Amino acid sequence: MLGTVSRQLKSHPALVPLFVFIGGGMCMSGAYLVRLAFGPHVSWNRNGNPEPWNKTAPTEQHKFYAVNMDYSKLKKEGPDF
Amino acid sequence: MSDTVEKKIKNYRTAPFDARFPNTNQTRNCFQNYLDFHRCNKALSAKGQDVAPCDWYHRVYKTMCPMSWVAKWDDQIEAGSFPGKI
Repeated sequence: MLGTVSRQLKSHPALVPLFVFIGGGMCMSGAYLVRLAFGPHVSWNRNGNPEPWNKTAPTEQHKFYAVNMDYSKLKKEGPDF
Repeated sequence: MSDTVEKKIKNYRTAPFDARFPNTNQTRNCFQNYLDFHRCNKALSAKGQDVAPCDWYHRVYKTMCPMSWVAKWDDQIEAGSFPGKI
């Protein structure tokens, strides 16, 4: 199948940007999914690590881009127990 | 520590920003505070200490959570079928 595709691409070279952009888009969305999967948003191991979002410091930023939020001034709110 | 918590509870206006839950969907924030309230009660009363500091979590989840959810979870706790770990 790859042989057919590359043969057809050679005769229609204008299609190369199509592959570039579609491939780039797939890579970017996959990379974002992987970033979310490794972050503290999901609990993968219910017995070993049930609430990973509780293990992060109060000043840590999990969002990709935060507008108007000074993360350095935050502190833990509730009392310890 | 406890008198600053008392002061925080007295000056409570609304739930503060929680960096663990930065996005629009605050469902988990609500559930986490509900769980923390009950865990705090259980832990402090097991240690024999005053459970007044746990009121912070109570205020926060009352701010965040829909009343129907809180009522359902309270019923589940009484019936013993609450799915969260307390």
